[in-house]
Amino acid sequence: MTDELLVVRAQLGERAALAELLARWQVPVWTYVRRMLDADRADDVSQEIWLAVVRGLPRLRDPERFAPWLFTIARRSVTDRLRGEYSQAEERSGAADAAVEDPAEAMVDRAALVSVLSDLPVLEREILVLFYLEDLPVEECAYICRIPAGTVKSRLNRARRLLRDHLEEKGYRP
Amino acid sequence: MTDEPRLSAQDMIERLSPALSPRTRIRAVTALLAGAAGAVFVGALWWTEPGPLPGRTHLAFALFTAFCLAWAAYGGWLLTRRVPLFATDRVIAAWIGLAASLATTAVLTVVAAQRGTGVGPVLAVGGGFVAVALVLVVRAQARRAALLRRRRELSGAQPGRTS
Repeated sequence: MTDELLVVRAQLGERAALAELLARWQVPVWTYVRRMLDADRADDVSQEIWLAVVRGLPRLRDPERFAPWLFTIARRSVTDRLRGEYSQAEERSGAADAAVEDPAEAMVDRAALVSVLSDLPVLEREILVLFYLEDLPVEECAYICRIPAGTVKSRLNRARRLLRDHLEEKGYRP
Repeated sequence: MTDEPRLSAQDMIERLSPALSPRTRIRAVTALLAGAAGAVFVGALWWTEPGPLPGRTHLAFALFTAFCLAWAAYGGWLLTRRVPLFATDRVIAAWIGLAASLATTAVLTVVAAQRGTGVGPVLAVGGGFVAVALVLVVRAQARRAALLRRRRELSGAQPGRTS
């Protein structure tokens, strides 16, 4: 069953559809939150996100765009927790984001990614999680982070570079 | 590093159940309806009271109206911000609103007629409530119909699947 059908059924008031939607998306949401925050806060923030999802679901106008909407809510909860880090990162990234480089779809090894993710700055960490761990397309990452698609690509490029540097420091050979 | 959520999907649903429980909805609807009906009723009594009233009576009427409005506002806040009202809930809520508006208008009209004060203002206020309630019923029905149609289309696209 597609997400859209589940969302429509949940919007009609079917509890079973809501439960199935939650079962389907709980781990992806948690993964995003856990990669952005520490383990202690991940469960509380996940719960907060799901509460906001349940409260907002009746007003969701485009059921087929459930995933980007869900991650927008998740991102809002995470940015609330990391407000300081985000404002610093955004100040710093202004100039660097302007240049759109070739995205060069380099493969990133998930296990290696997870192992160094927590060392990366928030903006780069966020874009890697959304693109590689959640498998969201560039357009949806752009919608969730409220930045142009070109910025997503340049941010991904920079994130991959940082990732490579960190992995090399740790002794991984790409 | 723990790489599993500590809460299962089932635990999460249980934690969300206060927001989804019928009891919260009933409380919200009751507060909104009783508050709005009470405010209109007390307001109408105050307005149609024959003869000049002492200052203390004015104060009492004002306080009672404010009290009812506060309950209505609390109910409205619960319904719009705290309790998710899904399409079917909205249809039910809209019909309850319409019934309550009609009942309040009818009671007020009877009271106004018995007291010999003009029923015009009462009918105007009551009519306003009924009109708003009617619009909400139509909107809620249309939204639910659109969702049901979409569900049929999507279910139809998946052969062998009925829902």
